[in-house]
Amino acid sequence: MIDELKIKARELLKNKQVDLIIGYQRASDGVLAMPCFVDREEDVDKLIWDVYCVYNLANYLKDYAGQKIGIIAKPCDVRSIVVLLQENQLRRENVYIIGVECSGVIDEKRLRLGAKDIQESATFGVKCKSCKSSTPSICDYLFKDKEKKGKISEDKDEYESVRKLEVRSSLERLKFWEEEFSRCIRCYACRQVCPMCYCPKCVADQAMPAWFSKGANLKGNLSWNLIRAIHLGGRCIDCGECERVCPVGIPLRELNKKIEKDIKELFKYEAGANVEQKPLLASFDKDDPGDWIK
Amino acid sequence: MIQKIVTKEELYKLLNYLLQDFEVIGPKELTNRGIFYETIKNPQDLYLGEGFTTEPVKKLFLNPSEWFFKCQYKDSKNSLEEIALTKTKRIIIGVRPCETKGLELLDKVYNSEYKDEFYVNNRNRTVIIGLSCAKPDRNCFCTSMGGSNVESQGTDAILFDRDGKFILEIITDKGKEILGSIGNEPSEEEKKHWQQDKEKRKDLVKTKIKAPEDLDKVFEDPYWEQVSKSCLSCGICTFLCPTCHCFDLVDEQRRRLRCYDGCAFVDFTLQASGENPRPTKKERYRQRVFHKFDYFKKNFGENLCVGCGRCIRYCPVKIDISEIVDKAPV
Amino acid sequence: MKENKEDREPKIVGFLCNWCSYAGADLAGTSRIEYPPNIRIIRVPCSGRVNPLFVLKCLMDGADGVLISGCHIGDCHYSEGNFYARRRFAILKRLLEYLGIDSRRFQMSWVSASEGDKWSKLIKELVQEIKQAGPNKSNDKKHD
Repeated sequence: MIDELKIKARELLKNKQVDLIIGYQRASDGVLAMPCFVDREEDVDKLIWDVYCVYNLANYLKDYAGQKIGIIAKPCDVRSIVVLLQENQLRRENVYIIGVECSGVIDEKRLRLGAKDIQESATFGVKCKSCKSSTPSICDYLFKDKEKKGKISEDKDEYESVRKLEVRSSLERLKFWEEEFSRCIRCYACRQVCPMCYCPKCVADQAMPAWFSKGANLKGNLSWNLIRAIHLGGRCIDCGECERVCPVGIPLRELNKKIEKDIKELFKYEAGANVEQKPLLASFDKDDPGDWIK
Repeated sequence: MIQKIVTKEELYKLLNYLLQDFEVIGPKELTNRGIFYETIKNPQDLYLGEGFTTEPVKKLFLNPSEWFFKCQYKDSKNSLEEIALTKTKRIIIGVRPCETKGLELLDKVYNSEYKDEFYVNNRNRTVIIGLSCAKPDRNCFCTSMGGSNVESQGTDAILFDRDGKFILEIITDKGKEILGSIGNEPSEEEKKHWQQDKEKRKDLVKTKIKAPEDLDKVFEDPYWEQVSKSCLSCGICTFLCPTCHCFDLVDEQRRRLRCYDGCAFVDFTLQASGENPRPTKKERYRQRVFHKFDYFKKNFGENLCVGCGRCIRYCPVKIDISEIVDKAPV
Repeated sequence: MKENKEDREPKIVGFLCNWCSYAGADLAGTSRIEYPPNIRIIRVPCSGRVNPLFVLKCLMDGADGVLISGCHIGDCHYSEGNFYARRRFAILKRLLEYLGIDSRRFQMSWVSASEGDKWSKLIKELVQEIKQAGPNKSNDKKHD
């Protein structure tokens, strides 16, 4: 499969269809992957594709605005490209999506947390367990999975953990989140790794007005994590990158999933599903629920 | 130096006793979250295994959110109120040698010519009991940075776990004061065995790198752009580094705050005029490498890196500083 | 002595749209309809102008409650501002609840320029509800 990918990449670069291909290469440890930027035909051989290719490369597209980019994208990554297209952050003709059929990637976080060996940690990421499709919704070229493993989804209720938290008492929930957020070190990796976080100036970096404390204290941390989640309302496509990179292990997906669940219930909206659809918060319906308003 | 053999029970008993007078801080494992330094109420909660804490012990000396003073406006008068220094005596147990080596490097900045009162206070009120590394992982390269995974390197005492017991080496008087009473003297044979073990453990650090003598020659090399391409500009590598010490001063709600700053951030050196001398990832990543392996060396004669591997282990995109420094085109 | 919840006067921040709710509150005043003085009003052009950050900052800095009030659906001076607000804050309200922040502290209402009565009744109810929710503890939180 990888040979096919390399041939395609070489062809794209040769025909000047793209200026740059963003893909994966082997990291220094010889096992994991890391992002790879190929702009010359001779570098194409660096490209790899396997279960270690966890990163959502759509995040790099904002670095190359205006250029023609070929990007290797899993089905979940493609959803974030869809949102970027919906929000006019990207021109469709500028991005050549090399879609890959994906049957799940490893749980990199668990590996980092000290799973004994690679084999043990090669369980799939939590996001993969509720994956809905192993084939990208849009792409210019599709690499089929020859082994036809299909999606690894366990067809479980994807909001199970959200529901579990919802039924706990208000005080318990506050305690839970305060404990989690108190560890936040405000490294902003969750923001930097998110393809949807493209504000030229993040509210967290603003000094005038300063919306919340810059220091890693509980109040500032609560505000930051809450506002990050709110800003992703209707835009988060659950690529799970924020939770994966969080060095202190805050379960950020529980926040994202909660909003995802709410907007499904309230507005029947699903992020990253359709390029033609208007973004959730830039549109409205006359019959949106308003019974909670006095 | 005093060497002793201590059982786990003896150690816990002592810690229980010390809890009356000291705040005891040590690594604690949180399921699916990692290992963190936390105040220990019960010594059984301590994690003294092979894993590494996510955050380095630096956090307990350079508070990530330090309030300097607060201002008040009362009865048409302005007043400044200094924030009192915490005086509680504390014991930090389970600290890896590389982390305390980091503290020794921070001492050069915060506790030599210039004395930072918060940092110095934290140093003075703390006794550090180290824990030797029995299982360095592939990201560790402490031995290449002039350090060691088994020597004390600035701890007051250091523990080595061996056959379900601990070998305790007491280095300083501070350490002797609190730990002097426990354990038994090892026999000569045991001491010899232990010395051999130590050598073996040192060899477990497999990653070897060579930091270039003079990086300055390659300041303008396109290499830096190449290696920083995938950098996300997040603060993980700097915040989790045992030696990174850049900070930011912010005035918030009539209070002055010192918090961490990191050279990876887009607004690291952004000036009020809008000018930024380090506008792209390339300059910012180069700054990180140069501060560690060039500027600091020129100022203080040592690399500002202890090889703990945290920035590699936790990098969201697996940028490997050891490899980058090793392969720098000098 | 334990503080009696009912005794403490809560502080509420109100973001009122210029065209309806602000005029409605004004009408309540000029018509001498009484309502509790617990609300501090901030006038905004439209309920659609309000950013979730405003609400968050109020709650984090110790306000006991936040109210956003705008024109009735269909009456927005800018045609559709309140439609956007309705969507945006439905999400926020649920998220606050999820985080364990009492959702009574954050409320929204539609009050037109002619509804001085409604405004007065609304504030009376709101103050009662927020008294029940108790004082906002965010300022007691460790801020270091």
